[in-house]
Amino acid sequence: MIIGLQIVAILFSLSMVYFAALNYKRREINGTEIAGWMVIWIGTIIVVVFPELLRTFARTFLFARVFDMMVVGAFLLVILMAASSYMRTKRLEKKLEDLVRKLSLKKK
Amino acid sequence: MKIFIVIPLFNEEKHIVKVLKEVSAYKMPIVVVDDGSTDSSGRKIIDCRSKIVTLLQHKINLGKGAAMKTGAVYAFTHGADAVIFMDSDAQHNPEDLTKFTRKLEGEKYDVIFGSRNLNLGVPLVRYLGNKFASVLVSSFFRIYISDTLCGFRGVTRKAYEKIKWESTGYGVETEMVIRTGKAKLRFCEVPVETIYHSGVKGVTPLDAFGILAQVVKWRLTI
Repeated sequence: MIIGLQIVAILFSLSMVYFAALNYKRREINGTEIAGWMVIWIGTIIVVVFPELLRTFARTFLFARVFDMMVVGAFLLVILMAASSYMRTKRLEKKLEDLVRKLSLKKK
Repeated sequence: MKIFIVIPLFNEEKHIVKVLKEVSAYKMPIVVVDDGSTDSSGRKIIDCRSKIVTLLQHKINLGKGAAMKTGAVYAFTHGADAVIFMDSDAQHNPEDLTKFTRKLEGEKYDVIFGSRNLNLGVPLVRYLGNKFASVLVSSFFRIYISDTLCGFRGVTRKAYEKIKWESTGYGVETEMVIRTGKAKLRFCEVPVETIYHSGVKGVTPLDAFGILAQVVKWRLTI
């Protein structure tokens, strides 16, 4: 039986599929990236609908419930993405700073 | 010793002309780095520009640290042996410049930090924040500067090579102190006069928290 929390998770995943497709249409992400996001969100929907698929994993890693394992997994993913995003922003900031400095010195 | 004055500038149309006129009297080359001002600061400098004033313009606002670095890069690639950084908001008294030149030329210090008399006319929040920063930096890096946030300071070419900062914003002053301590450079403090103007300019409490977080980061990385 599908419970409320599962419905919310499915709706969220479907909207993320839509946004991924929208970004692809606008050429903001390439073919590899859209494929990656599709795998992640469709995979999420499958796991949400059939949680028993992950039960063996949950038992292996000593999680009481599949839901607990998914929450921990989501946290790890968010932390990983935040760290990666931070590093990219830092690199971009440095490049921008160097470029602006180069332009200001070039005119002299 | 060839000493350049570097003035980072951001939206200071009210004060910049006065600052330039007063500093020009000391006959040292002046480099003004307009850090993407959106007011008429840049135009005012162009109007009153003399032979000793060079204007560098950042297309976008990068922050005080980045502007100071641009000015330092320009000065050192144009033959400077040392630079003196001054704020553009007329808070610093140009008469104090001689104290810096004396320490740089006469006493051969590598880095000279201006120190405001924090007991006179400094807002209480700034006083407490500044003292806290000094104690924190001292306990983490074993270098005590009574006013870590004062923007009036001098650096020789040799010292600049060793303390090149990464900060683009208001963290630059604190980072300079920390790197000076780490590089074991010869430094001193000179008392400087400061006139506080009203309005929300300079380091805000939010900036202060950012600097605090950076100090912890530098403790792990520098």
